[in-house]
Amino acid sequence: MSSTLKKTIPVAIVAVVALLVMMDYFIVTPPVNEAGKSWTSTTVRDLQNWGIILTAFSLGFGAVNLFYFHSKHISRRTPDQWMFSLWLLIVIVIFTVVGVFYGPTSTSYSWIYNASYFALSATVYSSLGFYMTSGLYRALRFKNTESGIFLVVGLIALLRNAPAIAVYFPVLIPWESFISDVLTTSAQRGIMIGGALGAISLGIRTMTGRETGFLGRLTEEEKGGGAP
Amino acid sequence: MELNLVIQIWMAAIFTIWIYSIAFRDNDFFKFAEYTFVGAAAGHSLVYGIENLRRYGWDNLMGGAYLYVVVFLLGILLYSRYHPQYFWVSRYPLSVMVGLGIGLSMRAVVTAEFIAQIKSTAAVQILGVTDPIKLVSNIIFIVLVVTTVYFFLFTFPKAHEGGLGIIPKIARYGMMAAFSYSFANTVLSRYNMIFGRLDYIYNQWLPLPGAIIAFPIVLILLVYAMLPPEKRPWPKKA
Amino acid sequence: MSGQGKGIWDKLENIPREVLYGILLVVFVIPMLFPLGLPVPISANVRKWYATIDALPPGSVVMMDFGYSGGGEPELGPMAVAVYNHLFKKEGIKVISMSTSIEGPQLWDKAIAEIRPEQSYGAQYGVDYINIGYIAGTETAMAAVGKDLRATTSTDYKGNPLSQYPIMDGIVDATSFDLLIVYTTGGDQSEGWVRQWYTVYGTPYLCSVLAMMIPTMLPYQNAGQIVAVTSGAMAGQMELLVNVPARGIKSADVITLTHLLCVVYVAIGNIAYFAKKAQGGK
Repeated sequence: MSSTLKKTIPVAIVAVVALLVMMDYFIVTPPVNEAGKSWTSTTVRDLQNWGIILTAFSLGFGAVNLFYFHSKHISRRTPDQWMFSLWLLIVIVIFTVVGVFYGPTSTSYSWIYNASYFALSATVYSSLGFYMTSGLYRALRFKNTESGIFLVVGLIALLRNAPAIAVYFPVLIPWESFISDVLTTSAQRGIMIGGALGAISLGIRTMTGRETGFLGRLTEEEKGGGAP
Repeated sequence: MELNLVIQIWMAAIFTIWIYSIAFRDNDFFKFAEYTFVGAAAGHSLVYGIENLRRYGWDNLMGGAYLYVVVFLLGILLYSRYHPQYFWVSRYPLSVMVGLGIGLSMRAVVTAEFIAQIKSTAAVQILGVTDPIKLVSNIIFIVLVVTTVYFFLFTFPKAHEGGLGIIPKIARYGMMAAFSYSFANTVLSRYNMIFGRLDYIYNQWLPLPGAIIAFPIVLILLVYAMLPPEKRPWPKKA
Repeated sequence: MSGQGKGIWDKLENIPREVLYGILLVVFVIPMLFPLGLPVPISANVRKWYATIDALPPGSVVMMDFGYSGGGEPELGPMAVAVYNHLFKKEGIKVISMSTSIEGPQLWDKAIAEIRPEQSYGAQYGVDYINIGYIAGTETAMAAVGKDLRATTSTDYKGNPLSQYPIMDGIVDATSFDLLIVYTTGGDQSEGWVRQWYTVYGTPYLCSVLAMMIPTMLPYQNAGQIVAVTSGAMAGQMELLVNVPARGIKSADVITLTHLLCVVYVAIGNIAYFAKKAQGGK
């Protein structure tokens, strides 16, 4: 009974919901209402809207986890850490208060967003460019066939990505087209087909209860119990 | 220019410089900016989570869709994962989300990422192609697709040994080329982003009154913060 | 003598990162201070993208996903602005925007502030363009909007009822749209739209992603599932075609010089590596 409630029913819910969604796509099921929609269509539409709301609930996990983790540093006064942790929580509170009371599209919220989050986000993303420079200087070396391919293709792509170079060296254009349209597309397609097969098998395994990673933390009896 | 806009630009520019300082050495200014970023990201997620709940859940509920009470209960149950004993209750709403995700992706992935890709590969012409470069390209294309699929599908050791070893080897060369192309494009992407920030500092911040004077001061303070604690008079680490 | 030589090659093979980054920053700044006006060729994909929008007849409805984050704004923002300018220049095109990215609404505001549709084109919010806001759930959101937009959301991004806006008349689901345009920094979004809109409804799809994501999107373009894939780095080219130069074209000189610097770095590293090897070093 305990295992039914904690594992079997959740897995059954996954299977039922997934099958409903797939059924709606592949089969037109009666009865059809006045709007011409089948019962699966209206059920799946509602389920999708439920999914949006559940995802909205899950957006709070980040803040909750941060509060849990950093409040420990603050209470313990961890040296060189607790003040930063306190500042982090203050920032969360500021954003939440302004966003909830003034609205996320208000000028006040836009101000704090542009002054902090947007600038920081853009800069953090871009700062990786420095490490990439260091990486290409140290990694693009002709040591064997594979690294040689990596080097030659990388150089052609780097030169082609420099806008003006292609004007002065038009031979780069067909070479880069060959790399992108033939080599890259074919390899990525192979990866995509393999990934698609993996996704399908993972989906089926999850629906049949063989893959239980989504259940998260295991109960004591599940830890000591049989294989999935 | 309005004062609030001036302050906003100052803050954004200084945060930008502090974040870039990590490329040279870790320092407390970077740490402050980093923690601001993490807090802002979490706060922003929370704000939009609440906003989505209001727009797509609460408004519908108040509009007469009383079944949404069940959704709200399920959403609250998601947070039971923090309970030491009843964490398994969060599996119920999670199952709905996972089921939706599996159903939505599986219904289309077969067509979009399997059949369509195979059809497109099968449509690549070999016979009747007179241009030798086009012919060689098409043959290479088909060979690389097949060998790459082989590489990922047949992972048991015998499939990569002996005479069959040439197949994954060709796949590896193809993937090396693809990853190298990705790498070069990543450099392009990141450099564009760096330009965007430097352009902001140059065209938005530096023209403001006092910014030209503040800029070297910010840099000097950064260099000072990068010094090891024993080499600077203040502050000493605890 | 060979000991000294090995020392030089050793140094060249292990240039400190501070020197690499410092030179890189200088090369970034020089063309910003002294623009060179280097030529910018227009790629085939950008022309295809432009032609697809240009071929839209009056009365067409476009769905636009502002699915990128603040981190991708320096690259994708100029592209979004250039394409919006193109759409506004055409008569009678309705643009309905949404976001699958949590920062989308703010970034849409930024783009619109840059374009100033009312002043520049006489376009009106709610008549020619609208934003229905951020919808959580990525593929779930795409599927929900595609299936029944009015059941998914009844308000715009500021919370005003959609029923008051003429642009929303007759907009029901994905079949109400003639074109899908997506700007995104996430593979989930760019690939999700292929699965949830193109595969299910056959909506023509134009996709602009970060340059680093182009390789993963090429198979879709090759299979005809996406009309054209561009990167935000091509924004300057789009600006030239649309004839509204802005942020995108400014980066061309910088990108050319910095990429040449990268090639120089790679050359130095390899020359030092081989020279050291020739002298018996490891």
